[in-house]
Amino acid sequence: MSRLPWWVGGILMAGLLLMTFSVFGADRPLGASTYVPYFAGIIFDLDPEKYSYLKEIKNPGAWEGVLLLGALLGGFVTSVFLTKSFRISLIPTGWKKYKNHSVLSRLVWSFVAGFFMIIGARMAGGCTSGHFMSGMSQLAISSMIFGTMVMIALLITGKIFYNTKEK
Amino acid sequence: MDIIVKTAGDDFPSRIAQMFETVIHQGHGSLVLVFLIGVIFGGIIQYTRVDKFEKIAGFAMLKDTIVPKMLFLTVGLASIGLYFMIEAGWAHYHIKPVMWGGLIIGGTLFGISMAILGKCPGTGPVSIAEGRIDVLVGAIGGLLGGLVFTLYYEDFFKPLMGEVAGKWTLPSFFQGHEHLVVLIFGVVVTLIAILIPKVEFFDEEDLKKLPECERPDLKEAS
Repeated sequence: MSRLPWWVGGILMAGLLLMTFSVFGADRPLGASTYVPYFAGIIFDLDPEKYSYLKEIKNPGAWEGVLLLGALLGGFVTSVFLTKSFRISLIPTGWKKYKNHSVLSRLVWSFVAGFFMIIGARMAGGCTSGHFMSGMSQLAISSMIFGTMVMIALLITGKIFYNTKEK
Repeated sequence: MDIIVKTAGDDFPSRIAQMFETVIHQGHGSLVLVFLIGVIFGGIIQYTRVDKFEKIAGFAMLKDTIVPKMLFLTVGLASIGLYFMIEAGWAHYHIKPVMWGGLIIGGTLFGISMAILGKCPGTGPVSIAEGRIDVLVGAIGGLLGGLVFTLYYEDFFKPLMGEVAGKWTLPSFFQGHEHLVVLIFGVVVTLIAILIPKVEFFDEEDLKKLPECERPDLKEAS
C-alpha cells in the first residue's frame, strides 16, 4: 500500500500519544517545536548558563531533540520503502500550480515562514503536536485558543497568498 | 578497554552527548524509547502523507482535508483514552498555561507561516528526510527564529507573551460533570473528523512513480 488512510493514521497517532503520556511510556506530552531553539543554542554555541530560555528548555529540548532524530529516521525509512516518494526537490508541485514556478521565490518564502513559525510556536508554547494534539487531548483551554487562532490565520493566508482560482 | 565519552565540554559533539545524557537522566522514558517514539511519529506522518505541502498548504487553500480529519480524529480518540488513563493513575496532566499575548500573536504567526511553508515543526523534518530541500531552507530560517527568540526572550518576547492567566481545562468549568464533558468532547471531535468532507489534492510527481494499481487517485475514481 502506498499510503495509509487518514483514519488509520488518526488511530495510530492517538495510540502513540497515549503511549507517550502513559507512566509506562514517557509520562509527558508529545511536542515537536522546543527542539528548534535547543538546537539553535547548540549550533550557534550559546552558553546555556547565560540565557534563561535555554535553562528553561534544557529537559524538554533534549527530549524532543532525540525524538526528532527518530522522526528523521522513521520518515526516511517509510519514504524509501513504503511510499517510494523519496526524491530531492526544490519546489512543491502545489506551489507551482497555485503560486509560481520560481525556485528563488519558494526558498525565500520558506526561509521567512520557517523563521516566523518558530517564533510563533515558542511564543504560544507549542505547535501542532504540543498544543493541537497533546494539549487538546487534555481539553486544555490554552490549546483550544491556539488551535482556533492557527485555523483562522491558516485559512485566511491560504486564500490571500495563493491563486486558488484556477486558470 | 573502556570507551570514555567526554560530556563536560562545550564543543558540538559533547553538547550532543549532553543531550542524550539529559534524556537518560530526566525520567521521561529511556533513550531508546524516546528515539522509538520519534521513529513511529515520523513513520505515521510520512506514511499518511500529511507532511506534504499539498496536504497542509492544500488545506489552507481548502483543496485537501486529510490533515484536519486526521488531527481531529487523533484528538477525539486520545482525549477519551487519556482521561481514563489519568483517572486510573496511568498518566498525568501536563496543561500549558493561557498567556493571552503569546497564544494570540504566536498562534497567528504560526498559522500564517504554516500556510506558506506548508509544514509545521513536526512534519517539516519528516519532509526533509524525504528529500525536500525547500523545507531544509525553512528549517534554517526556523533555527534563526529559535536563536532570535532565545536572545531576546527576557527583553522582548516574555513581556509580549504576557502573564500566565491560568491553567484551565474544559472540564474544570463544569464541576461535578467532568466525565460527561470529556465524553461529549471526545465524541463531538471524532464526529467532526468523520463529517469533514474528504477532499484530496494529490502530487502528480509522487504518483507517477507508483504502479497503477497502487495509485490512490485512480483507486478513488474506480
